[in-house]
Amino acid sequence: MSLSFILRRLGYGVLLIFGVVVLNFLLIRLAPGDPAVVIAGEMGGATEEILDRIREDYGLNQPLTTQLAIYVGNVLQGDLGQSFFFNQPVSRLIAQRIGPTILLVLTAQVLSILLGVFLGVIASRKPNGPASAFVSIFATIGYAVPVFWTGIMLIILFASVVPIFPIEGIQSVRLRDAPLLVRGLDIAHHLVLPAFTLAVVYLAQYARLSRASMLDVLGSDYIRTARAKGGSERAILFKHALRNAALPILTIAGMQFGNLISGALLVETVFNWPGIGRLAFDSILRRDYPTIMGVLFFASAAVVVANILTDLSYRWADPRLREQ
Amino acid sequence: MTPLLEIDNLRVTFDTRHGMVTALDSVSLHLNAGETLGVVGESGCGKSITALSVMGLIPQPPGRIAGGSIRLNGEDLVGAEPARLRSLRGSDVAMIFQEPMTSLNPVLRCGDQIAEAVMLHQNVDSARASRLAVELLDRVGIPAPAQRARDYPHQLSGGMRQRVMIAMAVSCRPKVLVADEPTTALDVTVQAQIFDLLNEIQRDVGAAILLITHDMGAISEMADRVAVMYAGRVVEQGKADDVLDHAEHPYTRGLIDCIPALGRRDDTLREIPGVVPPLHLLGDGCAFASRCAHADRRCLAQKPVLTKWRHHPVACHAVEEGRI
Ligand SMILES: Nc1ncnc2c1ncn2[C@@H]1O[C@H](COP(=O)(O)OP(=O)(O)OP(=O)(O)O)[C@@H](O)[C@H]1O
Ligand SMILES: [Mg+2]
Repeated sequence: MSLSFILRRLGYGVLLIFGVVVLNFLLIRLAPGDPAVVIAGEMGGATEEILDRIREDYGLNQPLTTQLAIYVGNVLQGDLGQSFFFNQPVSRLIAQRIGPTILLVLTAQVLSILLGVFLGVIASRKPNGPASAFVSIFATIGYAVPVFWTGIMLIILFASVVPIFPIEGIQSVRLRDAPLLVRGLDIAHHLVLPAFTLAVVYLAQYARLSRASMLDVLGSDYIRTARAKGGSERAILFKHALRNAALPILTIAGMQFGNLISGALLVETVFNWPGIGRLAFDSILRRDYPTIMGVLFFASAAVVVANILTDLSYRWADPRLREQ
Repeated sequence: MTPLLEIDNLRVTFDTRHGMVTALDSVSLHLNAGETLGVVGESGCGKSITALSVMGLIPQPPGRIAGGSIRLNGEDLVGAEPARLRSLRGSDVAMIFQEPMTSLNPVLRCGDQIAEAVMLHQNVDSARASRLAVELLDRVGIPAPAQRARDYPHQLSGGMRQRVMIAMAVSCRPKVLVADEPTTALDVTVQAQIFDLLNEIQRDVGAAILLITHDMGAISEMADRVAVMYAGRVVEQGKADDVLDHAEHPYTRGLIDCIPALGRRDDTLREIPGVVPPLHLLGDGCAFASRCAHADRRCLAQKPVLTKWRHHPVACHAVEEGRI
């Protein structure tokens, strides 16, 4: 894999994020009314003093291009503005909530890929067998059911029927000061339902995709060659077939990352998970524009990074795409 | 002396959307140690299915070995335990496939694919297997074998890939080497090289070769004995020289007439009129009758049985009755 490819890819990523910053900037200016009032937020009940400070900070009395330059300059310095509703810098708000969201999204991603691919591989071994039928049914249901519905059903199930998993928050109040290991386990315990809820949709998709992909690959000539060598069934499935079948799964996994982040918004809201999604929900309700913009910025940066990683892993996994 | 490989009355059926078809019917062949048996016939006559049966690689379903036996050193492979078949495959019987472009795994290095075959059947560690793989690549005439071992299949030409396949197939010094049209996908010049290589390898390793081809020219150069197949049956069988010089079956004669003779005056490429009937439309009579200039009522009504009338066994009523 060449350095120039990585650099080019990074260059596109930076351009994309810059585009998002410009869009963010325009968003405020397109909102009806005085931008200073918009930035202060409707719930703020902002005094004339505060509005003047905002006009000063954002250069709202100066030409649009100067305003853009100021805004981009601020973002480059990690200053995403001030949330007047939360009365905190947006960058600090995001920094506080980034951990839980990354934990939730990555857990859901890993869970859905591992479990989905596992189900798909099992199903592909007997395309007309019961496991295969189960995967098809499960995939259809998982795909059709909205995320928040799954979440609410799980809450009902675990709140009243089998109360073995916490249905709200990220940790128990009484364990806040417990030793690190206990707190870690407590967080993992709280993570089960939100992560599973978020994972279900994608798990179903990965199961169906990897089943189809495996069936395709298992019929190919090189699998027959592997059999002709006397390879075991396991080596054929996991060494020869899965490595090839994984290629389309990798692409989809990268493309789904953006959806996963927007799914996190719903899941965090339903389970009161203190992450970026919850923050986005709150700030949208309050029309807290600086925070909304900060969240958009974070989400797009995350998607760009995920896409770059996908591209790199794809090239790593498929030697035909590597440049010599 | 009992033959090394003895196929007796083999019958293979396939479930298709036209119902069950018989792809191989009453096929009996034998291969003595160290000799080359050529199997010829037009596309679709069952050559590959015969080869795959020997390897135990008939795709089931839809395929099924419905009768007969395949004995290797007296041991019946039909109905043998899967584990037993795996241990024979690649070590005692190995196969070179028709499609060099697609028969190697695209995501694994060529050297590793050969080394895998070595490690499956010989008690060597991976470093030793890799060294053996390079030696084998050298043996099959690949220049700079150490570098090529690190290449992926897509970096090699078709001829080179077929050499890699041959290296893989002979890596465990098989007793029986099944070569299914090993040169069909290659340039004419490369074809001759591959045949030369097979001859050398045979001398080296002492393997008996089941050479499948639709090229009568290759038969005359390579084979000790030959079996001519048509629509899933053996229609003529004997010493290669004998069959080529005294072809009796009208189909064999047609095939021989198709060999483009150098310096032949008429420029037309000869061919046998008509096409092979699809398997599901085979009736009670001789499958070749619809294309045969000598066919009469009996040919349409009754299948001829492989019997020696004059020089060697042939399945033809016209030969039996002395009409040709
Ligand atoms: N998976 C399958 N399902 C149904 N029929 C099959 C299947 N595989 C092979 N057949 C049938 O078996 C017959 C023999 O096929 P085979 O591949 O042995 O032909 P071949 O002699 O090797 O031809 P070619 O020269 O094209 O390689 C064909 O008529 C084909 O229709
Ligand atoms: Mg074939």
